[in-house]
Amino acid sequence: MTTRAFLIIFLLLLLSLFSFFAISLQKDYVQPVKNQEGKPLILDRQLYTIDGIKVSEDSLLSGKVILNVYASYCLPCRVEHPFLIEIADSKDVKMVGISHKEQVSATKDYLEELGDPYDFSILDLDGDFSLKLGVIGPPETFLIIDGEIVAHRIGVIDINIWNEKFEKYF
Amino acid sequence: MQADALYEDLDKEELERLEYLADNIRCPMCSYGNLSSSNAPISSDLKQEIASLINQGYSDQEIFDFMQDRYGDYILLDTNIEDNRSIFLIPLVVLVISILLVTTYTIRKSK
Repeated sequence: MTTRAFLIIFLLLLLSLFSFFAISLQKDYVQPVKNQEGKPLILDRQLYTIDGIKVSEDSLLSGKVILNVYASYCLPCRVEHPFLIEIADSKDVKMVGISHKEQVSATKDYLEELGDPYDFSILDLDGDFSLKLGVIGPPETFLIIDGEIVAHRIGVIDINIWNEKFEKYF
Repeated sequence: MQADALYEDLDKEELERLEYLADNIRCPMCSYGNLSSSNAPISSDLKQEIASLINQGYSDQEIFDFMQDRYGDYILLDTNIEDNRSIFLIPLVVLVISILLVTTYTIRKSK
């Protein structure tokens, strides 16, 4: 009798294990690296745009700002670029680019070729500003409202990701 | 650039600490590898940042905490059992049940 009881328990355990696996398979892939949502945007030094103009702290810390990390060497950035232009045209939001570890000339060529959705682009030649922001590699997109990061996408942004994470703030 | 020129501000002992930290912090872009084994751009950047944190007088634990705060638990190669007890307990539970099953079965057989 006890053997049968244990056998049933064991079978039940096995069954729950398999159903757990089956359910896990349905779920979307979860990014193991934590994103930066809920953290403040820290500006600890003077930033410059790719045109060499000083960036005022106020322009990043007040209101809704989309920070998009891009680079001309980054192929997925080219994929999401048309979508960024669409957002810049249709939404009332300040769109700021961060040119990640890239020479000014290459960045300007890139924007000339594909169009410039950004109000201005921050020059981040050594990648240190991006690193402190928690960027792993371009493309990444942050939504900052009054100095707080409310949404962070690691990877290409498209309409599905936008609706899921960003649309609710507009 | 030569490797030792990169971290010229650090003395020998601090370089060893940097080595230890880079061995035990995972590269955020990789599936498993640590910072020392990876040549992703983010890894060399992070190693550079660890070097500057060491320079600012951070202890090893403070650097681990700093990285964990920014990138999450994933970044630490050394897993903390407290964070996910069930993963460590399930195999134990299965083992105990199997032992019970086998012993009762063999005892009944021998009678």
